[in-house]
Amino acid sequence: MRIAGGPAAWVLAAILLPAAAAPLLAPRPADFQEDVAGGRDLPPLSRAHALHTPDGRTRIVTGLRPDGAGFVFERAGGTGRVDAADLAVPPQPRLYLLGTDRLGRDVGSRILFGLRHSAGVAALAVALSLFVAFALGGAAVFGGPLLDAAIMRGIDVVMAVPRLLLYLLCASLLPLSTPLLVAVLAATTWTGLARIVRAELLTLRGGGIEAAARAAGARPLRTLFLHLLPAILPALAVAASLRFADTILLESAVSVLGLGAPPPAVSLGDIMSSGRAAAGDWWLVAFPGLLLAALVLALRSAATSLDRLLDPPSIA
Amino acid sequence: MSAFFLRRFLFALPLLLGALTLLFLLMAMVPGRPFPAETGALDPAAAERLRALYGVDRPAAERYILWLGGVARGDLGFSFSERQPVAPVVGRAAARTCVLAGLALLLQFLGGTAAGVLAAAGGRGIDRVITGAAALLYAVPSYWLGLMLVGLFSVRLGWLPVSQMATVEDGSPFLVDALRHLVLPCLALALPAAAGIALFVRDQIRAALDGGLTRAARSRGLGRAQIAIRHGAWRGLFAASTLFGLALPGLVGGSVVIETLFAWPGMGRLAYQATLARDAPLVLGCGAFSAALVIAGSLAADLLTAAIDPRVRASLR
Repeated sequence: MRIAGGPAAWVLAAILLPAAAAPLLAPRPADFQEDVAGGRDLPPLSRAHALHTPDGRTRIVTGLRPDGAGFVFERAGGTGRVDAADLAVPPQPRLYLLGTDRLGRDVGSRILFGLRHSAGVAALAVALSLFVAFALGGAAVFGGPLLDAAIMRGIDVVMAVPRLLLYLLCASLLPLSTPLLVAVLAATTWTGLARIVRAELLTLRGGGIEAAARAAGARPLRTLFLHLLPAILPALAVAASLRFADTILLESAVSVLGLGAPPPAVSLGDIMSSGRAAAGDWWLVAFPGLLLAALVLALRSAATSLDRLLDPPSIA
Repeated sequence: MSAFFLRRFLFALPLLLGALTLLFLLMAMVPGRPFPAETGALDPAAAERLRALYGVDRPAAERYILWLGGVARGDLGFSFSERQPVAPVVGRAAARTCVLAGLALLLQFLGGTAAGVLAAAGGRGIDRVITGAAALLYAVPSYWLGLMLVGLFSVRLGWLPVSQMATVEDGSPFLVDALRHLVLPCLALALPAAAGIALFVRDQIRAALDGGLTRAARSRGLGRAQIAIRHGAWRGLFAASTLFGLALPGLVGGSVVIETLFAWPGMGRLAYQATLARDAPLVLGCGAFSAALVIAGSLAADLLTAAIDPRVRASLR
């Protein structure tokens, strides 16, 4: 099957679908701490075991091997021994595919949940800014020259303030929360999209689509939303996927700075910044970043092939 | 040309005023006020006197006018968290950012343009390698690159310092020490941007060489590489110059994260700390300076485009 976006669309699906299904796929909840002292800082591909004792305690141990009627193991830098009779259930194997962090949480699970959060926030922000961009772009084109000038100069002004600085300012207005994060990311994203909406609508204004809709008796708003919007949607899709890539990068950046959504929300940036103090745990930084890079790369390449589909290069 | 410059300059002024107004409006909406007496740390009468002294008890409209007047005179107000006037604080930080961001800017444009020209001029293999590496590098977040570089070169290998601008009482000469501190933040800032420039320049050159120009040059006996360098390099330079103005906001924004990660005492880190401290005058000062820089950057890019491209010059007459 050929789909718009080419192979990049499959990469996108391979990254975003598991993230959407994180609660089903992740081996453990994002904040699950079984045993901080024993389970912390385990490198990727660590094989460990969980030892449950009847009093409800859980120990995460590595290098478990049978020893007579019990087991010897390593835990938190030392060795220990436990009788099989002292365990509530036989040792439970644990595989930490991407290692654990300093609080003994499974990094693989956290990355799945983090990607779900980051991509969800970015997607909502882009959807919101698309809405604002369409409303203001439409108003600029059909609201008369004065409104047009006012909106376009307003966009120039917002764009003159660096995006991250605008974010810092907005983030200090209210206590941090996920809805605020979405709103503020959208507030710094809509400007470029509104310019594109205006440019696309200008090429359609007074054209066949508008004339046909008007002739059929459609009112201006109906013409705008039901006839002109679908016509510019493909061009907007290209811009929106590029903005999505930028926004997910920005969301991780503000989380790295500690200005993202507060816990229990977990973003890819949170995972990366938790790795920076203890620079020994390279896996905390490396994997979320590589995943982010793959996502951004796929989004950009999907946008490029979508663009080519809409506007095929002429054969000279 | 001078008429164009004047018109463009006059257009930039209201833009700057608008950006300053937006910043002030946002900052005026931040809840809380300086010298809160509610916490009990401050005598209410003393808090009242301090507010009157710094003029923060006046209506927002009056403060706005006073602030704008101050900005016009180069007086950005008084920072509560730094306990000194804002302008010199911002000035010092801006100078340090200029060292870091300026070097990164230079590096990314030189490296990016060179790589772009090389990709366009070289054979299929070179092109594939460069565009592949650049696309990957362009997708990588700069702070991620920074963290990984620190992890490898500072923590694992111990070659370069982790953060700050200089080492106190280091035996090596000042310049060597400063350069060693510059390497990692500069690379983290410049590499992803350079990759973006390389991709853009390469596409622009390819598009320019994709027609009659190449056929004419080939018929005159020029080789592939010669065509790319003689005709394409100019095209690449022009393409890079249009990107110059767009690169500034990214650099100012990107330096917030990189400076915070590397504890580089520049504008970005100052803005971040000022936001956390709710220090309105300092945030406004940083914002005003950044906005002025961005507007000046796009002005410079327009003028550069006009200077390089004869078609733009012709359209101005």
